[in-house]
Amino acid sequence: MNKNYILPGFVILVSFSLIIFTTVLLPHFIFHPEPSEYAVEYTELEAKGRDIYRREGCVYCHSQFVRLQDRGFGPLVQAGDYVYDTPNLLGTIRTGPDLSNEGGKHPDAWHKAHFINPRTITPGSIMPPFVHLKEDDMEALIAYVQSLGKKRLKKYDRIYRPDEYVAKLEKRTVDVNSSAAANAGRGIFQQNCATCHGTHGLGNGPNAIALAKKPANFSRPFYKDYDDVTWFWRVSEGVPGTRMPQWRKKLTDEQMWYLVAFLKTLPRVNEVYPHSYETLEPDKWLEQLKASEAELNSEPKAMLIETKGPPPMAGGGH
Amino acid sequence: MLLSDKENSASKFFILTAVFWLVVGMTLGLTGAIEFVAPDASTGYGPLTFSRIRPAHVNTVAFGWLSMANIGIALYIVPTLTKVKLFNEKLANFVCILWNLAILAGIACLVHGYSEGREYAELPVPIDVVVLIGLLSLSYVIYMTVIHRKVKKLYVSLWYILGAFFWMPIVYFIGNRTFVRLDGLNDAIVNWFYGHNILGMWFTTLGVGIAYYMIPKLSGKPLWSHSLSMLGFWTIAFFYAPTGTHHILQAPVPEWLKALAVVFSVALVIPVITVLTNFFMTMKGSWWQLANNLPLRFVLTGALFYLFTCIQGPFQATRSINWYIHFTQWVPGHAHAALLGTFTFFNFGAIYYILPRILGRQFYSVGLAKAHYWFTFIGFNIFYFVFTVIGLIQASGWQQGMEVSQWSIALEPYWFYRAFGGALMWFGNVLFLINVFMTWRGAKPLDPPDEEPAMSVKRTGV
Ligand code: HEC
Ligand code: HEC
Repeated sequence: MNKNYILPGFVILVSFSLIIFTTVLLPHFIFHPEPSEYAVEYTELEAKGRDIYRREGCVYCHSQFVRLQDRGFGPLVQAGDYVYDTPNLLGTIRTGPDLSNEGGKHPDAWHKAHFINPRTITPGSIMPPFVHLKEDDMEALIAYVQSLGKKRLKKYDRIYRPDEYVAKLEKRTVDVNSSAAANAGRGIFQQNCATCHGTHGLGNGPNAIALAKKPANFSRPFYKDYDDVTWFWRVSEGVPGTRMPQWRKKLTDEQMWYLVAFLKTLPRVNEVYPHSYETLEPDKWLEQLKASEAELNSEPKAMLIETKGPPPMAGGGH
Repeated sequence: MLLSDKENSASKFFILTAVFWLVVGMTLGLTGAIEFVAPDASTGYGPLTFSRIRPAHVNTVAFGWLSMANIGIALYIVPTLTKVKLFNEKLANFVCILWNLAILAGIACLVHGYSEGREYAELPVPIDVVVLIGLLSLSYVIYMTVIHRKVKKLYVSLWYILGAFFWMPIVYFIGNRTFVRLDGLNDAIVNWFYGHNILGMWFTTLGVGIAYYMIPKLSGKPLWSHSLSMLGFWTIAFFYAPTGTHHILQAPVPEWLKALAVVFSVALVIPVITVLTNFFMTMKGSWWQLANNLPLRFVLTGALFYLFTCIQGPFQATRSINWYIHFTQWVPGHAHAALLGTFTFFNFGAIYYILPRILGRQFYSVGLAKAHYWFTFIGFNIFYFVFTVIGLIQASGWQQGMEVSQWSIALEPYWFYRAFGGALMWFGNVLFLINVFMTWRGAKPLDPPDEEPAMSVKRTGV
């Protein structure tokens, strides 16, 4: 070998060893974050679900770290959150939302329906259907997704059905699914609630400006999960700590059922397809998707209650 | 017969099979792109799901096409520059067979979900071992060839090739060390050390080395500056490897590691400028050759995309820009500009030049080659532009903190344009495969022999 090339060879060797030392070995020696409160020690089922998450390549569309500038995905992640995450599933692309705090955002049945076919839950979604997952794999995957972030953003807790309100169902005289009831409810809503919640229930009534805790915006997607009893309970008991009154002191049960009928018709962002997700079946997903699409197209989408004449003025012009 | 000892036979087999994998890889990629337009196209069949196809696509084009074509071209360049026969043609042929089997098995494993889950390192362990054995054997063959060389001085291409065959086996080994279990973030750090260096210390070094050989050869002009080319080599050697962490710049990994990555990423502007200055100054006064020299046109188009990518790259790695474009389709756009726009185009040019010389006959059709150029060039431009636009839309979506479903509908037309651009490229490369196949089978050339000087054996000679 020509002597001229010994020095360059040596330099390459030394420089590359140095680089490997600083960027591969050094972090390994000195970077050992303690497990944080939110580091998940996966149970057997969750670990299996994690394997399926990796096998199905969810990581190519979903990240698992919340950045400083992100909103709606929960608090910023800490180094200690990842101690048990091997192999890492941080992800580099977000075609879908970040999943680091996905646990508890939706009920299990929601996830199952969403994995079977995302488009029955979120029209226009481009997430692939994962119908090919076997029943136990699906269960494990859902368990894993529910473990993410240790349910710190748990939302469906608010879908709560106190027993005394469930009992009220028996004495109910109003058919909350009829449009007559919804129309009646609309009148009551405009008189009592629109000042705060806005005529369309968007939480933007004229009084909202003055309130520190803003009135609820009923177009938010998680109201999709409210059932009759939950609605009734919320209206009846009000929201402690806010200006939302306890309406049971002012309205009769019948009037509140009318309100429930109305609140149920308000459009949500990403309206669920008419077929509810509990009835989605893996082997019939394609037909069900077509059926619900047809159903959706045959019905007017937005405000289901038709208004005649100019829209009511905000603040009770009705 | 399989393990032929014929001169350049390994190079030939590597190139021929690489072109086959190119079309396979692009078909996989196109399928993935179509599934963004029609998400139910997989009809619930697991191996057809986008997320299973994506790693198969990446690994096929990266290891099947790009690596194999690079190796094939290097196996041709090294003997011509050293003026000796390849040290062990049989071993190289053996590696070629091994590698093809590995890619085939790799695709089958990945679409069935046997994936390690780390980006670029998805191939399962047994295949990793095969690839590593292949790499080490090739390094041995190439180093031994260079040691027995008849030309004293090493041309710059050889520096790059030798460098690549030193770095790559190490990088590959580190990236696929599944037997060492690392905690989540440490795992990510090592993953991205590998993920970025397979680009930096393998595709870039080989690609640039090939371009350094092709441009003077094809244009018939001497390299503008040898010292500048060495500056480029050494700055790549020093600055490229520590930059991997810029892929996880906003994850909670140690700050010093991120700072290191950003500084070195920005420093990469230096090798890029030196390399491109050298290419463009070499071409000074002979740009007219682009009109009728197709291989040269491919290589220089590649150089142009290299300029785009490598200006994008360092800026993308700075915190303020990364803050905005991270997690969006801008980034795969950038990756395609490097691997598809740049190195693939270099390889096309090189193959149009080398294949006729190895096979000793004309290319089957110059017309097909021209169509290949225009389909890939126009297709790629659409593709890259659309990627970037999607990236910007997504970036503003994330930045405004809106729900994905609120703005993802706005992307619908762009997913279609992207698939359209991809389809054009795919078609162009099917033409390429046909052209290469017919040339290999010895079909009678369609065009008069001297139409494309660099592609005809008779006029330029070996
Ligand atoms: C092609 C990219 C893609 C792949 C692959 C993918 N997703 Fe999604 N995912 C999306 C998109 C886009 C959304 C947002 C729209 C929607 O809700 O469907 C989403 C939404 C979700 C949501 C709902 C988030 C929320 O709170 O609204 C969950 C949970 C989810 N994905 C889990 C998964 C899992 C688990 C996998 C792997 C089995 C996976 N995804 C694979 C694109 C993808
Ligand atoms: C004084 C203003 C005000 C009026 C009037 C008002 N609300 Fe509210 N409402 C609020 C506020 C404030 C909240 C609390 C939002 C929150 O939880 O952040 C709220 C919450 C609610 C909720 C609970 C939402 C949830 O998240 O569970 C319901 C249901 C509701 N209002 C219905 C009504 C109905 C029906 C009326 C008319 C009968 C009405 N509100 C009148 C201010 C008002």
